[in-house]
Amino acid sequence: MNGPIRNLATALFVAFAVLIGGVTYTQAIIGPEYRDDARNARLVTARAARERGTIITRDGTVVAESFPDPDDPQVFRRSYPEGELYAHVVGYATVLFGTTGLEASRSQELVSDRDATISGVINALFGGDLRPNGLRLTLDHDLQSAAADAIGNQRGVVVALDPRTGELLALVSSPRFDPNTLAGRSAGPVGVALEDDPGRPLLDRALRQTYAPGSTFKAVTATAALESGTASAATAYPDPPLLPLPGSTAVIRNFAGGVCVDGTEVSLAEAFIHSCNTIFGQIGLEIGADALVTAARDAGFGLEIPLELDTLASVIPAASSFRNDLPGVAQTALGQRDVQATPLQMALVAAAVANGGEIMVPHLVAEVFSADAEVVERTAPQVWRRAMNPSTARTLADMMEGVVTAGTGRRAAVPGIRIAGKTGTAEVPDRPPHVWFIGFGPVDPAPDERQLAVAVLVESGGAAGEDATGGTVAAPIAGEIMAAYLTR
Amino acid sequence: MSRNAEAALLLLAAVIAAMGTALANFPRGVGVDAQVALTFIVFVAAFGAVHLSLRRWAPTANPYLFPIGALLVAVGLTEVYRLDADPLAALQRWWLLAGGLAAALVVFLLRDEGVTVLRRYRYLFLAASVALLLLPLLPETWPLHGAEVNGSRLWVRLELPLGDRSLSFQPGEIAKVLLTVFLASYLADRHTAMSAATRRIGRLQIPEPRHFGPIVIAAVASFGVLVYQRDLGASLLLFALFVGLVYMATGKAAYLVAGGGLAAAGGIIAFQVFDHVQRRVSSWLHPFDDFTGAGFQIAQSLFALGSGSLTGSGVALGRPDLIPAASTDFVFAAVAEEMGLAGSIAVIAAFALLIAAGMGIALRSRDLFRKFLAAGLTLVVGVQAILIIAGVIRLLPVTGITLPFMSYGGSSLLANMVILALLARISHGDRA
Repeated sequence: MNGPIRNLATALFVAFAVLIGGVTYTQAIIGPEYRDDARNARLVTARAARERGTIITRDGTVVAESFPDPDDPQVFRRSYPEGELYAHVVGYATVLFGTTGLEASRSQELVSDRDATISGVINALFGGDLRPNGLRLTLDHDLQSAAADAIGNQRGVVVALDPRTGELLALVSSPRFDPNTLAGRSAGPVGVALEDDPGRPLLDRALRQTYAPGSTFKAVTATAALESGTASAATAYPDPPLLPLPGSTAVIRNFAGGVCVDGTEVSLAEAFIHSCNTIFGQIGLEIGADALVTAARDAGFGLEIPLELDTLASVIPAASSFRNDLPGVAQTALGQRDVQATPLQMALVAAAVANGGEIMVPHLVAEVFSADAEVVERTAPQVWRRAMNPSTARTLADMMEGVVTAGTGRRAAVPGIRIAGKTGTAEVPDRPPHVWFIGFGPVDPAPDERQLAVAVLVESGGAAGEDATGGTVAAPIAGEIMAAYLTR
Repeated sequence: MSRNAEAALLLLAAVIAAMGTALANFPRGVGVDAQVALTFIVFVAAFGAVHLSLRRWAPTANPYLFPIGALLVAVGLTEVYRLDADPLAALQRWWLLAGGLAAALVVFLLRDEGVTVLRRYRYLFLAASVALLLLPLLPETWPLHGAEVNGSRLWVRLELPLGDRSLSFQPGEIAKVLLTVFLASYLADRHTAMSAATRRIGRLQIPEPRHFGPIVIAAVASFGVLVYQRDLGASLLLFALFVGLVYMATGKAAYLVAGGGLAAAGGIIAFQVFDHVQRRVSSWLHPFDDFTGAGFQIAQSLFALGSGSLTGSGVALGRPDLIPAASTDFVFAAVAEEMGLAGSIAVIAAFALLIAAGMGIALRSRDLFRKFLAAGLTLVVGVQAILIIAGVIRLLPVTGITLPFMSYGGSSLLANMVILALLARISHGDRA
């Protein structure tokens, strides 16, 4: 009887050996494939559960922090104490909606290595510091708050930066959202509602939405005219009430109708100060598509602006596509037609003028600091590109100062400070215009004096609707912000 | 001497169980608490009762059976506690206590004549096991009635007159022990007749059909019930038991071949007839094709195995809660994730040692009934462990049975503790 029992026992042992082989194969050989499968919820929850570094503003206001879940100390939860104010910059780190903003782009520094993987354990054994690093932003909490207050509940953008370093001091896109609601327990419905919201609160309008720049683009057109040698600030142009466009029945009119200044001869500087469309149309036709495109490209159009967050490139069509389309050239010179710019791009145009023609690399992270608050890495100011010659910048600065003292941008003035700027009122089919103000102040600061470059955009006229212009809606916001920062 | 070794090993298993409970506590921010003490006390009480009964009434019994069983229970309970401390782990401790007392009771009842006394009641056992297997078919309106879980009707629920409480158990787990006793007894009487080929059909020589009558009836009856209840795993398990025991009794490999053929045919028919069998096979072959549907459980199991890697995440640091039925049928995947390949192989090795001990007892038994009973009981435990582990690691389709000693489940734990007690008592008889 023992023979068959031995055979059965042998069969069972063979089966156990096969099980050991099978489990070894599944766990050790192809195991990593299963572990790293995108559908393995462990990956997502493990990442979300880890401690992330603290993010503070330049003045130390905490804008993102991790704390252990009171119900489960293994799991860290993320909180954004300032709620909506830094939503687009800081972004969010969630299970359901992924990770955005600096939370995503700087996750290398922000995410703790402290976990139960073999490498994590080995790291800990050898005394490695596994606590995550934190970020100190360049943003100024008071200025960010002032910018958000100034734009209110209108759809729009405020960009403010130090033109000499590229440090972004305020970056507000409105409407906003509260990232805490996406990291919370009822995140599902909240996230879906945000995605479906017609106001598109999740969109960062400052970096990833382009608008027709309108008359603010005249700063680029003026640069092209000055640098092509065809004009100086004093060059005089006729001031007709309308400019017929060659090869078509279309005409260009001035914003208020009629002549722009007095119907006689008007200098380039005066045409800029009063934002004369008929004259800038003539200038466009005179310098041509190639000069316009070169000046725009030098300012950064067509390029992704280097930043810690993804940016959308502003658009200037290739010169070959409209070189012979003279109405197109004239309208491009006015910042209409196919020209499209992000608010950040237009802020950099103002910053270039302020900084002698050089655009610094814009940035949001001032330094990376360790859990012991020691600085690990500091962002050094760096030149991105030269938008114009220093002499051109000088001339433009004077013309822009004239806009605020005597032209369309008077409402951006700050008592006692030399403010320069340019307004824009970009026509949009079937909707009120998008209104702009770009500028900076003070002009010619002392070396130890603060300087600020800004771009303000209010979508579809904001609260003023059809009556809105850059001078009446955007300029006061810019003035308020510059006053808040420069008179502090 | 060997009883002292057993006592030491059982104590070690109790310490391992208590440490498992403590480990599961730590990540929750709880340290050594009353739960740890309770686990230790229940282990000492349950296995202490068994140990004392063996000292008293079966002093020369194999000393390794219960320590191996206790180790498996300790590992299983750690995962169950980690997955569902309350109520599952708390209930499981009560079941362990009941299982320990039941095992001690079996040793006590069989103290004089040993397992041989069971032969007298073999037809009673046959009737009882068929009745147990039929219980789940009782209509829902009766106080004692069947309940369908996951498409299989293999549970019995007793509605107690205490409010809305109910007590559920799987009668199949008890029936498999009773059926093994019946088969061992029957085959011990008839093995000569069954192995003697007295008739011919063509070139095939077969024994007298009447010797097979009761076996065939038993097989068909339990089978029919199981197929009707749609419990593929238990069907397969009982079939392996019949074929294995008949082969053991007769020594004729032809029974294995015939059994294998029948199982294959049965499997094909089941595949054609039952869509839940079809789903299991397709989710076995292509678990990721229907990831959110039929393949979900096996895919989660594979993620757990892969995430566990060599050393595992550590107890309560993985996510076995993502696997459906992690505390019952898929407890092996939970162990594999949190204790890694090291834990998986340790569990498989512990089962192999248990099967080695059981088969050793069968080989050393001089009496045929005890030999067949020991081999049959060992076979049941071994095949059940192999079927479900193979299902969890995707070597075979998932059959939906418990992993002996480790899965949460009162009937299963109770039945397996009784199996160990029977094996221990058999080994005592043959050493004295």
